[in-house]
Amino acid sequence: METQGVRAVDGAEALAAPPSASRARPSGHLWELDVLGRVWRFFTSVRMALVLILILTAAVLAGTLLDQAPPSVIADPASYEQWLERARARYGFWTDILNFLQLFNIFHTLWFKLIIGLLTTNIIICSINRWKGIKTTVFGARVRMSETFFQHARYNASLAAAMPMTTAAERVRRALALSHYRVRTETDGSSVAIYADRNRFSRFGTFLSHLSIVLILAGTVVGGVLGFKDPEFIVAEGATREVGMGTDLSVKLEHFTDEYWLEGPPKDFRSELVIYENGQEVKRGMIRVNSPMSYKGVRFHQAFFGQTAVMNVTDTSDALIFDEAVPLAWQTREGSRPVGSFDLSGQNRTVYVIGPTSGENDPLIPAGEMRVEVYRRDTGSLVAAENVSQGTPKAIGDLNVDFVRESRFTGLQVVKDPGVNIIWVASALMVLGLAMLFYFPHRRMWALCKALPDGKAEVRLGMTAQRDVSLTDEFKRLRERVGLALGIRPDGGRTAGGGDDV
Amino acid sequence: MSELSEYAFVATVAALSTAILLYLVNALGARSLRAFSLADGGSLATRSANGAYTTAGRYGTILAVNAFAFLTASLVFRTIASGHGPFANMYEFSLAFAWGALALYLYFELRYRLRILGLLVLPIALGLLVYATTVPSDITPLVPALQNDLLLTVHVAVAIIAYGAFTLAFGAAVLYLIQRRDSVRWLPRSTVLDEMGYKAVMVGFPMMALVVILGALWADIAWGTYWSWDPKETASLVTWLIYGGYLHARVLRGWRGQRSAMLLILGFAATLFTYFGNLFFGGLHSYG
Repeated sequence: METQGVRAVDGAEALAAPPSASRARPSGHLWELDVLGRVWRFFTSVRMALVLILILTAAVLAGTLLDQAPPSVIADPASYEQWLERARARYGFWTDILNFLQLFNIFHTLWFKLIIGLLTTNIIICSINRWKGIKTTVFGARVRMSETFFQHARYNASLAAAMPMTTAAERVRRALALSHYRVRTETDGSSVAIYADRNRFSRFGTFLSHLSIVLILAGTVVGGVLGFKDPEFIVAEGATREVGMGTDLSVKLEHFTDEYWLEGPPKDFRSELVIYENGQEVKRGMIRVNSPMSYKGVRFHQAFFGQTAVMNVTDTSDALIFDEAVPLAWQTREGSRPVGSFDLSGQNRTVYVIGPTSGENDPLIPAGEMRVEVYRRDTGSLVAAENVSQGTPKAIGDLNVDFVRESRFTGLQVVKDPGVNIIWVASALMVLGLAMLFYFPHRRMWALCKALPDGKAEVRLGMTAQRDVSLTDEFKRLRERVGLALGIRPDGGRTAGGGDDV
Repeated sequence: MSELSEYAFVATVAALSTAILLYLVNALGARSLRAFSLADGGSLATRSANGAYTTAGRYGTILAVNAFAFLTASLVFRTIASGHGPFANMYEFSLAFAWGALALYLYFELRYRLRILGLLVLPIALGLLVYATTVPSDITPLVPALQNDLLLTVHVAVAIIAYGAFTLAFGAAVLYLIQRRDSVRWLPRSTVLDEMGYKAVMVGFPMMALVVILGALWADIAWGTYWSWDPKETASLVTWLIYGGYLHARVLRGWRGQRSAMLLILGFAATLFTYFGNLFFGGLHSYG
């Protein structure tokens, strides 16, 4: 808890009371129980939120400065080991320490999630803590304030009205109402108390924006539990592939096109897709980077593309055992050549097809050729390797391999995320809440019209300083309006006080 | 059109440089005026510190407004020449950022009659323009990921307003730290500076939320993922959280002065990191 900071109070009532009262803890509640109380106060501490945000900042800084292993690598211990070896070249001695601290996978670690969880708890508890105060401010604000309040209010003025108290009060009321304030009055024998406010519901912006953060996190959980994501869904031209993941959908790529600007950068990537459900065509269309296609909640996004090699393989008896486009969607570690593979289970073979390095002359694989390497499927040992020219079949080991032609594949991101609608609703609430709070802030003015012995009236005005520290302009405007209504010229010099701070 | 844009750019730099000189003269002039008025009983102290009286200040404002108009023209010409909003590479971002800083600054100057923040904000804007001259200024066509006119315009335009507001808050925080004991004659009272920083954040904070949200929306449309911990999106989230921390510390715990000024400086560092981050770390935002 802060010791030197003054706690802001949601009801201005407390301002009229001695300052110590505003710091007293609420009594007679659950949180008087010490353990609960401590936990509660721990989570309501703004300092804790700040510390969490700072840790988050540091984590994010580390996450952007250090290489992060991709999720697909993390999922597979063997490839993570390989990844670490490569990282070792860069980080040397520090690699093991960084790895131990899970700094190569910051955003998916337990401790990162723990920090986010703590921050969420903090948000929820702080919101609950402030509910009562804000509700009172919005619905149960006090109309009548004491003399001391008007003396100590940050913005205050005293006006002399040459008219009876009730007339003065009515004019003040009307002046404030014309300034778009909502006005409440309370009358007793010798005075009329006035309370006026505008944008009072702005206070609930606090809850909207904080609730929205919790909703957003809920949306991510819903998406994580009920949705799926395949970021590397590859379909070759002319081929059809099942989406899987519990759907009955499959996707066929009719055609892929990439276009470039004259200056060189890419202009357009588009895939003509057909979607089948249980084998029946249900949708057909073109997707681009900024216009995905969706069917029954499953969305297809253009993510990447590449080259395929259409390969024909016959066995020793001349029977066709393979005739498909092989997407060269990966890269060889040395030489960064595009590579793809396929299995021939009947023959116990795995065949790798390696294309030439793009954009330069490849000394090993000339343009128009593919290097074909045949391995035993069970042991992984090399059987034979040859370069194959387009249209010229070649015997490699016990296989006859033909590189028919080149074509394209498209890389789609296939996503189903039912949580995403929750997130957009929450985002709208967030923006609405913040706009209410900061662009339409709650303003409150109190006034007291007192009857003087000579039949005239004294009007006192008071406005407290809260979130928005300077209400100088607003107070000045209201004071002038009220003054005019009471027949006092703006420069009448009858005013006192007022916080001239800008 | 792109030539016109360049002429307007040069005019902006010239007007802005002169404006900065005049703001400096104005501040120093206010200093002597304030010394004088202190001898006179101190009645003019605050108002003279605003620099409202000096001729240099008036002309400074006129030039700053001109610089803003030239910069607007430069961006408009560029938009016409390229056929898309001027938000497609680092050159365009830099001009737009400078535009945001100037726009927010002039709004605050006109609204609160406070010229002193210009001493910091205008040089920052000039710095961005000078930086722009060091990066390629060719008009680049839009790569597929950026081909969404509505979101490109709104996402970046909102970001510029947020960045502009945070620049202003930073200026107020730095001046606050100089003035924290109210000992510097030519600066307004520290409470005024403290409050200016707060008001700027009030403008910028909801805008920054909108930037992050629109970015997520766009990512969801273009890539199918509303959040992928890309360096730039993460940095923008952290920037937003820092200002959120600042607001909470201030509103709920009454943090004022030095501590909150430090938070504003941290926030601006995060803003710059968000802005320049893609240059260093690649990621999905590496367009510039």
